[in-house]
Amino acid sequence: MADWMENLKNKIVETQVWKSIFRHGYPDTDTNRALVMFSNVLLHLHPVKVRKSALRIRYTWCLGGLTFFMFILLTITGVFLMFYYVPDTRSAYQNIKDLQYAIYFGNLMRDLHRWGAHAMVFLVWLHMTRVFLTSSYKPPREFNWVVGVLLLVLTLLLSWTGYLLPWDQLALWAVTVGSKMAEASPLIGYSGPFGREMGMRVDNDIRFMLLGGTVVGQSTLLRFYVLHCVGLPLLATVFLAVHFWRIRKDGFSGPL
Amino acid sequence: MSSEDKNKPNKSSEMSRRKFFNLIGWGGLLASVGGSAVGTYKFMFPTVLYEPPTVFKIGKAADFGMGVDERLKKERQIWVVKNDRGLYVLIAICRHLGCTPNWFPDQQRFRCPCHGSIYDIYGNVRGGPAPRTLWRAAVSIDAADNQISVNFLNRQDPDPESTAEGLTVEEPPRETAPYFVKSA
Ligand code: FES
Repeated sequence: MADWMENLKNKIVETQVWKSIFRHGYPDTDTNRALVMFSNVLLHLHPVKVRKSALRIRYTWCLGGLTFFMFILLTITGVFLMFYYVPDTRSAYQNIKDLQYAIYFGNLMRDLHRWGAHAMVFLVWLHMTRVFLTSSYKPPREFNWVVGVLLLVLTLLLSWTGYLLPWDQLALWAVTVGSKMAEASPLIGYSGPFGREMGMRVDNDIRFMLLGGTVVGQSTLLRFYVLHCVGLPLLATVFLAVHFWRIRKDGFSGPL
Repeated sequence: MSSEDKNKPNKSSEMSRRKFFNLIGWGGLLASVGGSAVGTYKFMFPTVLYEPPTVFKIGKAADFGMGVDERLKKERQIWVVKNDRGLYVLIAICRHLGCTPNWFPDQQRFRCPCHGSIYDIYGNVRGGPAPRTLWRAAVSIDAADNQISVNFLNRQDPDPESTAEGLTVEEPPRETAPYFVKSA
């Protein structure tokens, strides 16, 4: 019986398919143990060794990890919301209402997405406070602090672009005000410092590009939808990968 | 100088051919990368807009009563204001960050719900963060049908001087053509 199982196992692990996925043998030798680490995406993001003190939850509170968990949660619940939400000015509000009141688990998905977004902003903020207070931004980690600041900006932009999508009064005026602020940015905004000197007009500046027109309308909703669901998450994923990779290279910080 | 060099009279032209292909190769690559970058950038700016008309007719002067008329606020984002001498059109966009203010007849003031800007019936700033007076749209009377034609994009934008009170501006009512039409 055991022989038969052993044979089957050997047959499976020797197939081309298995070998193309797992490029190492059972981790019973040093070589294979190292290969398990280096050929596994998730494990490879971890440092080779971790200081015991750095694993103490009271030191980092795992705030970065919790932020990443929120990102994953938002990605998953966001995909679920995409099944019912259509970025059309005539139906968007109704779709959100349906999610809240008619669709099974719809309200749960929407609230998870919404509160997850709030939690992510909050956790990023706490995470950065922790990094600041424990001086973990100091060399050799200063580049990762910069990447972290970019991730903060991306988090805020993700929150803001999601804001317009329900197409209610709050959303509409928030984006009206927000895009007016963009219009006042230096050089690339029509009414910002040196904007006009740079040749900015109401129909070629940053606000026009954000709104896809001169007024908040259908093309604005569509643009914010694409930014929110595709553009910014992709960008955030790239920076997250760099962020984790840097953590692996520099090692976890620990109490001095 | 050896005799070998003399046996290769084409050496310099040989090098220039290599340089030439180098130039063509990298130049072509850069040109295509740059071209697609410019194209992508331009792609983000729509060339056709499906937006509300910017020049439209709002009816005859006699259709409007005295004072501020809010009927066209939602559809056209304007107020039509009439006094005993004539009529002008204010654009219902707060000069602070672009919200739509409300008209309060009892106070004779426009008040913005967002951050509290206050304007008088002429559009002058009376309080709040608004840095400039409300826009007035250019108006004219179409001779064919006597209707008032509004140009939403042709706006009067006076730059009021800042006063000791900050942003509150005392300004004579602006009733100059083409931003003002005489009552019929
Ligand atoms: S937009 Fe009107 S006060 Fe800010």
